Amino acid sequence: MAPTRRDILRIGGAAAAAALFPAGAARASNGVSQAVAAFTGGAPVLEAGVRLEVPEIADNGGAVPVRVVAEGARRIALFTDGNPYPRVATFSFGPLVPPAAKIRIRLAKSQNVIAVAEMADGTFRKTSRAVAVTVGGCA
Amino acid sequence: MAKPKPRIRVPKSVEAGVPFTVRTRITHPMHTGLQRDRDGNPVARRIVNRFRVRYNGAEALSVDLEPAVSADPYIEFEMAVPESGLLEFEWVDDDGSVYSLRREIAVG
Repeated sequence: MAPTRRDILRIGGAAAAAALFPAGAARASNGVSQAVAAFTGGAPVLEAGVRLEVPEIADNGGAVPVRVVAEGARRIALFTDGNPYPRVATFSFGPLVPPAAKIRIRLAKSQNVIAVAEMADGTFRKTSRAVAVTVGGCA
Repeated sequence: MAKPKPRIRVPKSVEAGVPFTVRTRITHPMHTGLQRDRDGNPVARRIVNRFRVRYNGAEALSVDLEPAVSADPYIEFEMAVPESGLLEFEWVDDDGSVYSLRREIAVG
């Protein structure tokens, strides 16, 4: 059977969508892995020891509350994998301030927030959380 | 743009070594450099790129901020101090301005 006009439109539409949104484009398309590697110096990063508290659903992407805690860390960096730029903020803690902080950040769309901690012994740890954003903030 | 106004909330007196909460905020649009104004012209990047806290001259906390930090940057943290002293806060703007605040903390 010859393809109908409807078939052609359907296939064409799928091809166009694939071209615009290649599989996995949401990941690392903003250079987040390079940004994390720049922070860690390419050292291995253990998935443990960092607590990241973010809302699962954020109504307002312009101000998403984030709390991060990493016992024994001297620096903590926050990243996102779906904003125009991957870096968000980097905290350096002196001896009087325990390694934990709250901050409000912009999320342009639903994406992952990643926290990477540099521990006092020079090793790195991380965790990440997905946030669904209802109305994106202009990040 | 209105002159940024920093605000902090911190107890006047604390107990030695017992953590207390420090809340900080500064009014600032945090222009990302990616936005456009109503006429479609690009708005130049202008953010607070650094926030620093010192206690009796020693660095307690330092934060590098990027455009992904919300407008009117809010940062909250805990700290514990061994003795009375001066808590100093500093926000550094892209345009080179520095906004600062200081508070005496009494250890009772």
